[in-house]
Amino acid sequence: MGHGKSPYLRYADPEPFPILNKHSHYDHLFEEMHELEEKGEILVYRITEENKPVEVFTRTGRIKTVPTAKLWHHKSCGQCGNIPGYPASIFWFMNKFGYDYLNEPHQTSCTAWNYHGSGTSNPVALAAVWLRNMHQAWKTGYYPLIHCGTSFGSYKETREQLIFNKELRDAVKPILKKLGRLTEDGRIVIPQEVVHYSEWVHAVRHKIAELYEKEGKAKGIDVSNVRVAIHNACHTWKMMADDYPYDPEVYNGQRPAASTAVVKALGAQVVDYSTWYDCCGFGFRHILTEREFTRSFAIQRKLKVIAEEIKADLIVTHDTGCTTTFEKNQWIGKAHGMYHPVAVMSDVMFAALACGAHPFKVVQLYWNCSNYEPLLEKMGITNWKELRKEWEDTVKHIAELEKEGKYDELMEFFKEYDLYEPYSRTSDGFKRRRSASADMPLFKS
Amino acid sequence: MEGHPYGYNIPISEKTKEVPWEEKVRVYEEVKSDFRFKEFLFGCLNCGVCTASCPSNRFFDYSPREIVQRFLEEDVEVIYDMMHEYIWACSQCFTCWIRCPFVNNPGGLVIIMREVAVRNAFEATKDLLKPYGRVLLKVMTTGNQLSADMLQPDFFPDWGPKMQDNMENIRAKRMAIPFDVGKSVKTAWEVSLETAIEMYTIWRETGIFEMLEKLDPNLYNVIMDIVEENEERWEELMEEEEEE
Ligand code: SF4
Ligand code: SF4
Repeated sequence: MGHGKSPYLRYADPEPFPILNKHSHYDHLFEEMHELEEKGEILVYRITEENKPVEVFTRTGRIKTVPTAKLWHHKSCGQCGNIPGYPASIFWFMNKFGYDYLNEPHQTSCTAWNYHGSGTSNPVALAAVWLRNMHQAWKTGYYPLIHCGTSFGSYKETREQLIFNKELRDAVKPILKKLGRLTEDGRIVIPQEVVHYSEWVHAVRHKIAELYEKEGKAKGIDVSNVRVAIHNACHTWKMMADDYPYDPEVYNGQRPAASTAVVKALGAQVVDYSTWYDCCGFGFRHILTEREFTRSFAIQRKLKVIAEEIKADLIVTHDTGCTTTFEKNQWIGKAHGMYHPVAVMSDVMFAALACGAHPFKVVQLYWNCSNYEPLLEKMGITNWKELRKEWEDTVKHIAELEKEGKYDELMEFFKEYDLYEPYSRTSDGFKRRRSASADMPLFKS
Repeated sequence: MEGHPYGYNIPISEKTKEVPWEEKVRVYEEVKSDFRFKEFLFGCLNCGVCTASCPSNRFFDYSPREIVQRFLEEDVEVIYDMMHEYIWACSQCFTCWIRCPFVNNPGGLVIIMREVAVRNAFEATKDLLKPYGRVLLKVMTTGNQLSADMLQPDFFPDWGPKMQDNMENIRAKRMAIPFDVGKSVKTAWEVSLETAIEMYTIWRETGIFEMLEKLDPNLYNVIMDIVEENEERWEELMEEEEEE
């Protein structure tokens, strides 16, 4: 059902599940956004048929359009830096589905660590960083998909602030002008929807389940006995709470649907536990310098509860900080007789494993400090030791080639090895020497 | 009785008491004049739902309800005092926000208070943020803040023995990540120089460099050296490309 004049605000009719919050101030931004577009102040970067859109519901019953193809990957620094199998699994699925996408170096992080962690940013700086990234995506014609939960939450908030505050728009515009990040007629570029990768996983969950049936099961993988505890990330669903998927199939629309729905679609067992609502204890600054808080909270409020109440094999997450917090804070529990080992990974990593992705080359479980081995056994990936050896041999081979300075051979090796070409397709034929961070021989021009 | 009669249990610090009243009012007004303030605070039932579901409340002497109540009572003294250490306990989970019947956002109020504390370079804030030097250096110079080389096992002994294994042969492991711009140790992904240069402009134009200079002059100098070096490198590259 349409709502007023705005093409961006539509509600499901009839209501897909009982809706408690029918007067969302947040939803109103989709009307404001359209008005600003009509006045020529902003350009709304629209989701088109090319993006193969899928419709989901938010908790207010709003229809949210999730683009599934032709995506510009807004990566997460925590995922790329510390859980590389996370983005690798996302790209793996994109390749499997034959979706066109862009993974390029003309992107900064959201810098929201400086927002939530150290307070060393401000709304104008955050808005400028966001709009610069969005303008870059728009310029390439690929629609932005945000990998990190915090970037997603923070960008939703920034968009709301921009739409409702003329002062903020006026403050950020001259900066974007200086950067050449306005449209030719001087408008700022705002995406129709801010989209998190877990929403993408949610939107394509039935395709993922088909792939599992076809390829995962053919490899002897079976997830039907896997007991899964779901942990939803605070910054996806508590921050700007009216903009995240809910679904009648998941607790009748009364809890966030992403992650739970894909685990259910795969046929694994989603098991409920009493502290599902709690955060993980990451706390931004806490995981680095208040570690006793982070580990106490993670162990006592989550890991212990999950072990005692439901004996889960796996905690499925959908964000960077939570994954890190849960998998890195288990071993230390031994010191207090509170060791509750459980595998931890994101929805997309678990889904990739179920569909037969290499546990080390793709899902990069090598980086994981939790006990993932019993989970692999239970899933029927019984050859994981061989697969690990295979990956370790690859690492050794790369290290030797580098040591011997055989860069040409390295380049040849990666042509075969990478999930796509070693010189990524970028919007402007990126030159390696134009890197702010080149530190690998591969990056030498 | 020590402490605040309405439940702010931490005695007001001597340092706060010594600060002239006008200065405390100035800081208080700086917080309240932020455009987000009116979007984060509406009213309060004093129901305590926020504090009951607050993770930080479980392990610290910290309560979001207190923050909301002190603002509503315009308790300048307590708010000023809270801005030194109290607010840094917040985990930024926003459970308070989703649960508050008034849709207050205590976690958001904390953000404003933290930003004002940083801008005013409070001593306690400087000390608290010292350990973030590396994170700040990374994000402000490269555009992303969590790289593989920041995860030194010596710094994380509590993460267990697997962490040690992870860091062995780290360069080769990073290269073995099978997607292109992930192959870096120094950054989470490879960022193009022109993107970093654009970001420096954002920091300049939005007062972030200025704020940093006040907060930590040494860190500021290190960052500016890298920024200037990269800006020069960019100019040279542009000249070379023009000649070509
Ligand atoms: S955002 Fe801060 S104050 Fe609010 S519940 Fe979370 S930790 Fe507590
Ligand atoms: S939940 Fe809201 S109304 Fe209740 S005490 Fe907290 S701020 Fe006040």
